[in-house]
Amino acid sequence: MHQAEIILNEKVAHSIYLLRLRANKVAESANPGQFLHVKCTKGPHPLLRRPFSIADVQRKKDTADIIYRVVGEGTSILSQKKPGEVLDLMGPLGRGFPLPLPGTLPLIVGGGVGVAPLLFLAKKLSKVAGLEGRAFLGFSSARETFGMEVFESYGFSVELATVDGTCGKMGFPTELLEDYLKSEKKVKAIVYACGPRMLLLKVKEIAASCGIPAYLSLEERMGCGIGACLGCAVKSAKGGYKKVCRDGPVFEAGEVEIW
Amino acid sequence: MVDLSVKIAGICLKNPVMVASGTFGFAREYSRMFDVNELGAVVTKGITLLPKEGNPPPRLFETPAGLLNSVGLENPGVEGFIRDEWPYLKNLQVPVIVNIAGETVEEYRRIAQRLSPLEGISALEVNISCPNVEKGGMAFSRHPDSAYEVVRAVKEQSPFPVIAKLSPNVSDIREIALAVEEAGADAVSLINTMLGMAVDVEKKRPVFKRVFAGLSGPAVKPIALRMVYEVYEAVKIPIIGMGGIFGWRDAVEFILAGASAVAVGSAIFSDPAAPLKIIRGLEDYATRNLKTRISDLVGLAHRNDAEF
Ligand SMILES: Cc1cc2nc3c(=O)[nH]c(=O)nc-3n(C[C@H](O)[C@H](O)[C@H](O)COP(=O)(O)OP(=O)(O)OC[C@H]3O[C@@H](n4cnc5c(N)ncnc54)[C@H](O)[C@@H]3O)c2cc1C
Ligand SMILES: Cc1cc2nc3c(=O)[nH]c(=O)nc-3n(C[C@H](O)[C@H](O)[C@H](O)COP(=O)(O)O)c2cc1C
Ligand code: FES
Repeated sequence: MHQAEIILNEKVAHSIYLLRLRANKVAESANPGQFLHVKCTKGPHPLLRRPFSIADVQRKKDTADIIYRVVGEGTSILSQKKPGEVLDLMGPLGRGFPLPLPGTLPLIVGGGVGVAPLLFLAKKLSKVAGLEGRAFLGFSSARETFGMEVFESYGFSVELATVDGTCGKMGFPTELLEDYLKSEKKVKAIVYACGPRMLLLKVKEIAASCGIPAYLSLEERMGCGIGACLGCAVKSAKGGYKKVCRDGPVFEAGEVEIW
Repeated sequence: MVDLSVKIAGICLKNPVMVASGTFGFAREYSRMFDVNELGAVVTKGITLLPKEGNPPPRLFETPAGLLNSVGLENPGVEGFIRDEWPYLKNLQVPVIVNIAGETVEEYRRIAQRLSPLEGISALEVNISCPNVEKGGMAFSRHPDSAYEVVRAVKEQSPFPVIAKLSPNVSDIREIALAVEEAGADAVSLINTMLGMAVDVEKKRPVFKRVFAGLSGPAVKPIALRMVYEVYEAVKIPIIGMGGIFGWRDAVEFILAGASAVAVGSAIFSDPAAPLKIIRGLEDYATRNLKTRISDLVGLAHRNDAEF
């Protein structure tokens, strides 16, 4: 647990906020795909912490970012926090995205606020592994888009889809991935995805049919965040349940069953 | 200096604050966050005879000041426990209480038998109150006769003190407490979770696949307190009180109502350091109230009016 000072908490798109924290332990050790377990209030209501993927860290400045969408009580409390206030957080927790072998083309598929951990991933792929690839991003509409220029700054080419067609192609980012893989059959690629369950399910299908490895970041309601309460179960392909907080949140697509 | 130590069921605890079964895993998970040896005792996740895979997701749902869970006793089974968890637990410097559960009296008997050679177990906590499983579980805690039978069977096998963990989902918890006392229980733990439910208004279906789930957290505290108070007047064996303890004040309430020790559960999810903060808070409270021993506070809320 650490107490982290809020440096910045501002709207980056419709109902989407960027929160920057001074958190040297997180900045030092975090890997893309790991998450922070955040206490939104001091008292016992809401009772549980809220998990958020790490969207970036700046080691030199000792800061870590999360990007969150306001969907309910916890996130709306968060959105009212001001710089200078202190947030109680646990983390970095969980298992992040593995880096691919040299020469592999990373294909990133993000939906909505699920784009957040993929920003940090793109940074690591580009700066540490020297790999640049493609990002297929989907949002419900133009006003909710964010992060495209970040991917571009890491040398990724970005394709966009929106459900209502207000920006990019009308439809879903998985269609963009499918189109790309149809046109580039022989490419040695690896897919990284985060977003709604339907997106993950589709990515899993596409990757399997093309014989490409895929890593998915899953969500489940969390209690402890460290594997003690067994609350965040996801069905394992081998039978029984894996825990999103401890065994994930990033899983190889074949490890888990996404209904 | 306040003497925080308490003795329950023949176990000496250096302070009266333990963790509640199922909220602390097998202690290892939290050992990286703080020194678990500072706790009064560690209570393990419930163990069954055979491994249990637990219920399908979702398993958790938050309610106002509460938490519904439908974990369904996922655990590695008694052999897995002995192989993978006990080597760590046996080296802890605090009493370790192993929570056990079963579908039949025979299963409870066999788990107790299998655990009996493990030197270092301080007590067995017999969970006859899990609301999240198909068979056994809470059913045993609903009738005095079956509660008696389970506790009797474990008591016969076990060289360790036996604590019976009772369900609040009964019309008169005193009857059950009396039955387990008669069966030889050395202490009672109360309460396990209250049966509750939630409905998903978008899907127009219950949130949980098993429909009902167990409610814990501050939402159940007044009920838990009432039950501790009632049971204190009914039985002679000591009570371990739990249900929504989030701060030292809650812990003091339970102690004054009659609990000799307390367990902290859901609060740990919110703040892993909650049990340690409660220990310090209890010490301060006792000091302020000029008590040299924390045990002097147990049951004080039962004094009759003349003494007020
Ligand atoms: C590993 C992980 C990483 C995450 N990363 C991010 C992130 O980077 N950015 C972000 O905006 N969100 C992220 N989330 C989701 C985020 O945790 C939830 O949106 C947040 O907890 C909602 O809190 P709330 O109090 O605002 O909403 P609540 O009032 O709790 O809920 C609002 C609505 O959302 C539903 N809901 C809440 N949590 C979940 C969940 N985990 N799964 C499915 N439904 C849920 C509720 O049922 C309700 O309908 C992540 C979740 C996980 C498990
Ligand atoms: C996620 C979760 C899992 C639990 N698992 C068990 C268990 O395996 N055995 C048991 O006896 N009680 C179990 N309980 C009940 C707790 O030990 C405790 O009795 C109850 O939660 C009330 O305390 P609290 O309000 O402090 O959480 C569990 C509770 C929760 C929230
Ligand atoms: S949140 Fe407790 S096990 Fe994952």
